[in-house]
Parts: sequence; C-alpha cells; structure tokens
Amino acid sequence: MSAAGHALALQGLSKRYGSFTAVADVSLAVGQGEFLTLLGPSGSGKTTILMCIAGFVEPSEGRILLDGRDITALPPERRDFGMVFQGYALFPHMTVAENVAFPLRVRKLGAAERDAKVRAALDLVQLSAFGERLPRQLSGGQQQRVALARALVFEPALLLLDEPLSALDKKLRAELQDELKALHRRIGRTFVNVTHDQEEALSLSDRVAILNHGKLIQQGAPTELYEAPRTRFVADFLGKSNFLSGTVQEVFAGGFAIGAGATRVVTAAAEAPPLGSPALLSLRPEKMALLAEGEAAQNSVAGTIESWSYLGAGYALNVATPDFGTLRITLPSWNAPIAPREGLPVRLGWSAAASVPVLDDLA
Amino acid sequence: MMAHRPGLFARGSAWVVALYLLLPISIIIPVSMTDQRFLSLPKEGLSLQHYATVLGSPEWLASIWQSFLIAVVATGIAVAAGTLCAIGCWRVASRSTNLVRALMLLPIIIPSIVYAVGLYRYFAGLDLLDRFMGVAIAHGVTGIPYVVITVSTALAAFDPRLEQAARGMGASLSQTLRWVILPRIAPGILSGAIFAFIHSWDELVIVLFIASRDVFTLPRRIWDGINENLDPAMAAVAVLLVVFTTGLLLLDRALRRRRDG
Repeated sequence: MSAAGHALALQGLSKRYGSFTAVADVSLAVGQGEFLTLLGPSGSGKTTILMCIAGFVEPSEGRILLDGRDITALPPERRDFGMVFQGYALFPHMTVAENVAFPLRVRKLGAAERDAKVRAALDLVQLSAFGERLPRQLSGGQQQRVALARALVFEPALLLLDEPLSALDKKLRAELQDELKALHRRIGRTFVNVTHDQEEALSLSDRVAILNHGKLIQQGAPTELYEAPRTRFVADFLGKSNFLSGTVQEVFAGGFAIGAGATRVVTAAAEAPPLGSPALLSLRPEKMALLAEGEAAQNSVAGTIESWSYLGAGYALNVATPDFGTLRITLPSWNAPIAPREGLPVRLGWSAAASVPVLDDLA
Repeated sequence: MMAHRPGLFARGSAWVVALYLLLPISIIIPVSMTDQRFLSLPKEGLSLQHYATVLGSPEWLASIWQSFLIAVVATGIAVAAGTLCAIGCWRVASRSTNLVRALMLLPIIIPSIVYAVGLYRYFAGLDLLDRFMGVAIAHGVTGIPYVVITVSTALAAFDPRLEQAARGMGASLSQTLRWVILPRIAPGILSGAIFAFIHSWDELVIVLFIASRDVFTLPRRIWDGINENLDPAMAAVAVLLVVFTTGLLLLDRALRRRRDG
C-alpha cells in the first residue's frame, strides 16, 4: 500500500435542495497525500460536500476533478474511493474478514490474493485475530478500525471519512486520532475527513477548510487558522476567543490602534481599516497574562475577577472590564501568580501580535 | 417500573374473545375422531377411521397434492413479483411509488368474489379456465400484497448507508442486491412467502369460479363434501389443515425471533 495519493479539486461546487442552498460555490484543492478536514457546525454543508465527492449526491453546479480528470458525472461505484461512514455501515450479516473482503469480491480477485490482502489490511489496523467475528461482537473502536480496513483494502484513490470518530468516547477518540494520523503517514494516501470537532480537525489535518451555511469561510494549515483567523466565526469556532470591538484611532507601520471608552489597544496587521471605522479584534484566552504591580505590556486593561474555575492543568478566569465586558483568560495552574478569588482586582496584559483583527461575520 | 395489571373486566373480555376464536376450531378435533358415520361428536369411543379414509383415498390425496403444487408455484410468483416491487418502490421512494404500493394491496382490499368474476371473464379468453397454471397465476397475483407488506417492512429497517457503502466500494446494482440487500431482508421475504403460501393453500372463492373438474383443490373438495354429504372425513381434513397452517405460522415466528435476537 505505497502508491502515491491522488489530487482532488472542487470547482465552484453548489448544491441546492429546492430553495435551500446546502453548498454555495465552494472551490477547494486537495494535494496528493494530503489530509484535508472539512470542519463546520451541523448544517454547514460539510457532509453534502463529502457526499458529492463520493458520488452519492449530484452537485447542482460545479465540477469535481481527480488528477485533473472530470469525475462529476461518474457514479459512486466507478470512482474507486474508500469511505468510512458515520456509524461505519459494516455489513451485519458478514464476518469481519468478509466485510473487508467485500470490495475485493466485487473486483473478482482470486481467492488467494484476496485472502492475503484481507490479512494485510487487518494487520494494518491490528485486528488480525478478529477476522471470524461478526461486527456486533466488536467494540465501537474495533468496528471503526474494521471500517478503515475495508475502506483501504482495495487501495482506493482517495479515502473519505464521514465523522469517523464521533461515535466513540473521548479517550478512545484521542487514541484513534493518533492511530489515524499514523496510518495516514504510513500509507501516504489522500484523506478527506468531515468533522464538527475542532480539536480533531486541528490535530489530524494538514489543512482545514472551515464551512458555515454552505460557504467556505477560510482554509489553511491548522496553525494558520488558529493564529490568524480571518473572521469572527473562524476565531469563535476554532478554539475559544475574546472579541474586542472599538473604533480605529491611529494607523501606523505594521499595525493600528483601536479605542473603546478610555482603553486603547494596539494590534499588528499588514493593512489597517480607515481611521474612525469600527474594528473587531480576536484575543485568545491563553495569550493574556496577569500583570504584576507596575509591570508594563503593549496592551493592558484593569478589571475584577467575576468568576473562576479550576481545570486541572489551568485556571480559567472571567474578568469584568469597563470597556470590553467580560474577558476570559486561562493561566497554567502550576505557576499561577495569584490565588483566584471573586472580586479580586487584576490587570491583564498582552502583546500587539496577540490581538488579531477579524471580520465581523456574525453581526 | 411496575407493569400495569389489567382489571377483571379487561381480562374477562380478552378470554371471551380468545375462546370465541378458538372454540370453533377446537370443536373439529373431537368431531374428526367420531365413531359415527356422519358429522357429529363421538358417542361411544374415539376412532381414527376418518383419518384413515382421507389418507387412503386417492381423491383426497390428489387434491392435497394439487393444492400443494399450486401453492408452491403461486408462492414463487408472489415472492418474485412482490419482492421486486417492494425493492423498486423503496429505491425510487417518491409519491408515485406510494401509489404503486397502494395499488399492489388491491387484491386484499377488494372482495375476492368481485375479483373472481373479473378473472373468469378474463381467463376465458386466455384459455386459462380450469387449468393448473390459471389457478397458480391467480393465487400468485392475489398473494403479492402479503409479500409487498412484509418486504417493505423489512426494507424500512434496512440502513440505507449499507447500500451506499456497497456501491462506494464498487459493487454494481445486482451485486449490491445479491450480497447486501437480499440477505438483510431475507426474513421478510420468507415471512411473505409463508403468508402467500397459506393464502393459496386455503383459497376457495377464486377456485370456485375459474376451476371446475381438472383442477380440484383441497378447499374445493371440502366445500363439495360439505354440500353433498356430511362426511366426518371433512373434519379430519380440517384438522390436518389447521395443524399444517399452525406449523407454518410457528415457523414464521421462529424466523422472526431469530432475526430480532
């Protein structure tokens, strides 16, 4: 299983159901051997896009290209894509080995070759000892791995994953995330994954495409999306974020400053909105620090602790500020400078680079 | 949670209904073992002579055999047509398929005597009156609803993602049908087959209209026997019929339990 992955491209893909637009003009390119995740809340159109790629849903407009060849009109059984369904869709009346052998049986492979490939695929997902069991005799995690083996055994051009981990409990999900990532590295195939779980998207993917209401909002490497979200939706959906809104007061080389009430906040940005226009900044809770008496920072606001919680690895404080409402800040607990308590006055500080200007697409 | 216990009245009426359903059937058991020569309850002792008469009579055995063969062929027709119809409606799934499904239930909605009169006119032109195939076709077509109902029920419980999974892995329609859909709905098909078989096995009205001499099924012979003489052999045949049908229904139940378990 070492054949190189294939490249997939979506061009202006749209899908309408009557007057409802499920997918609106989405263009995406997935490189050879890349792991792309379509991320979005339910109803964002991510599953519809995956079903278009698989061939189960016919797009209303646009084209789907595999290595430059138009496959939009190709029926699913001729696309040669492996797919792991939500809930796995294992055949309940077949054993694990028969399930994995199914795509080979369809392709009329000889018995000896078929058995060898089934064995190799079950080895790949560490289920060699389970070939004779029925799917219902396996745990959720094992069923998920059978579905993976079945989707990979015929060396598909592309592996499609529809919320592959959503049915598993949290701990198992983390384990299988690591396995899935290792598997992707090992076989070097192109994976397209769909999820609503932002942690899963960040940890698994080479690239993430964020969707909302059928539109592609932003795509990029996980770090790029997390560190430089372009819109409020992206900053809010991927991790947690505070939002500071104010009006542009000053523009300087490499950034600008906004004012809200008596507070002024500077931000680093390549280009700035015009003076006097409203602006919105995203500020991650972990990028702020508590300032000691007299300590200076590029940005600082004073406030009082409204509420707090202990999360094991850290503290989360909700700090009431006069100009930006309640700001959430997280601190590592092992070296927290204070013992949090409600009503305690604190000063928050952060760098210009930590506050990122975003487009307010939720207004 | 405590189960709600039914009151005296509810339990009483349930027993009355059950007895009402069972008594006429159970009365034929002693009647079939009567020692008299007419249809009656046993007087001096039990006797199996009427069973011996039935099982030793070429006419009765010929009718049993003919009914069985007709039921087998009719079941084949009903299962093939009903299953394909149910699968087709399920796959297309639109408003018009609901209409088709309703149309398929017509044979059990309209009175069979009306249906039989129509068949009589129609079969005369096709030279199917008093023919084995004529009765088998008529029973097969009227058996379709049972198969459509049971197979549609089985398909409603079928996870459509299994079909998508099969097609996604490259399976053609016929491969998907043979390897994924049919094995999953086999219990439904078998239930439908059993009902279609029973339907043909004890059908009388249509036979009275479209058959006369060459085709003489078991229900037809019972009917004639009751009209001509009150031979207790009829009760013996009836007991055999009840035992056979009950056996089929128990088989259906066992199959359902195996599928659900």
